[in-house]
Amino acid sequence: MSEQERRPEDDGRDFADAAWSAPSYVLSGIAIYGGLGWLLDRWLGTSALFPIGVVLGVVLSVYLFYRKYGR
Amino acid sequence: MNALTLLASDPDKFTPPTPQELFELPPIGGIYWLTKPVILAVLTSIIVIVFCWSAFAKPKLVPRGIQNVGEIGYMFVRDQVARPFLGKDADRWMGLLLSMFFMIWVWNLMGVIPFIQFPVASHIAFPAVLAITVYVIKIFLGVKHQGGIGYFKNMMFPPGIPKGMYVLLAPLEFASNMILAPFTHMVRLFANMFAGHMLLAFFSMVGFWFLFEKLTPLGAAVGVLGVVMTIVFTALELLIQFLQAYLFAMLAAMYIGGALHAEH
Repeated sequence: MSEQERRPEDDGRDFADAAWSAPSYVLSGIAIYGGLGWLLDRWLGTSALFPIGVVLGVVLSVYLFYRKYGR
Repeated sequence: MNALTLLASDPDKFTPPTPQELFELPPIGGIYWLTKPVILAVLTSIIVIVFCWSAFAKPKLVPRGIQNVGEIGYMFVRDQVARPFLGKDADRWMGLLLSMFFMIWVWNLMGVIPFIQFPVASHIAFPAVLAITVYVIKIFLGVKHQGGIGYFKNMMFPPGIPKGMYVLLAPLEFASNMILAPFTHMVRLFANMFAGHMLLAFFSMVGFWFLFEKLTPLGAAVGVLGVVMTIVFTALELLIQFLQAYLFAMLAAMYIGGALHAEH
């Protein structure tokens, strides 16, 4: 499906795509890896994995964001 | 809680409006679901239908009167909302996007129209219905145009990422597109209207309280400030109302466009 010509309006689309999907990427990164850390904390009886998961989620979402839109 | 009720019962003290007072409205005529926003939503639909009917039912080659106004709105939605995201498919989606834009805008405008003064979208159910509708359309179109497996594959495995990272990033993509995107779509409109209504109610209540209820030389200045802030925030609110309607329609176009064509 992706073998289309790039038209000028694609740039506008990409920019808006990037700008408006940023919050949901960061939120889902925090939710998934923070949630995973929280579950592991409960399971293992530790308390450090939740904050580590939150930070990892943010880092991963920024990385994904950069690879998708940052070039 | 105790301090709050005490404060509320003290007739000499100014009490800011609470969300319960502003948003928990009594049912009308004893019908439990018939509240002010429901009536305003129906009224809005009638306004938008009548407007579009009178503007577009008998189009003239040289537009006059209300057709002119309608065409300005149409051109705005087509050029700023539909075309950037849908390209050649834009015209097919104009019906949905145009009515969505007009309806949300009038919903929001209800917040500043004197004596009506309630933004419909500040009850989360209203934006939720629209966001869920767009979400269903998005998934349906994605599966239809990219295939049941292809849609999720394109979504969760975007090109240009090292193979090993997919393990970590695929769940993130899935959650972002399937769970959080419709949620942020809905909450963005809801929260803006909710907060705007709270601010307007607060400042106008300050003005009313210090100028009419308890007029004192010192309090008068605060009351004047409240009135000025009400005017300033009403102007700001007018801008936000338009912006949120535009954004909601734009995001709807973005989701639909993303489902029609895989990201590249």
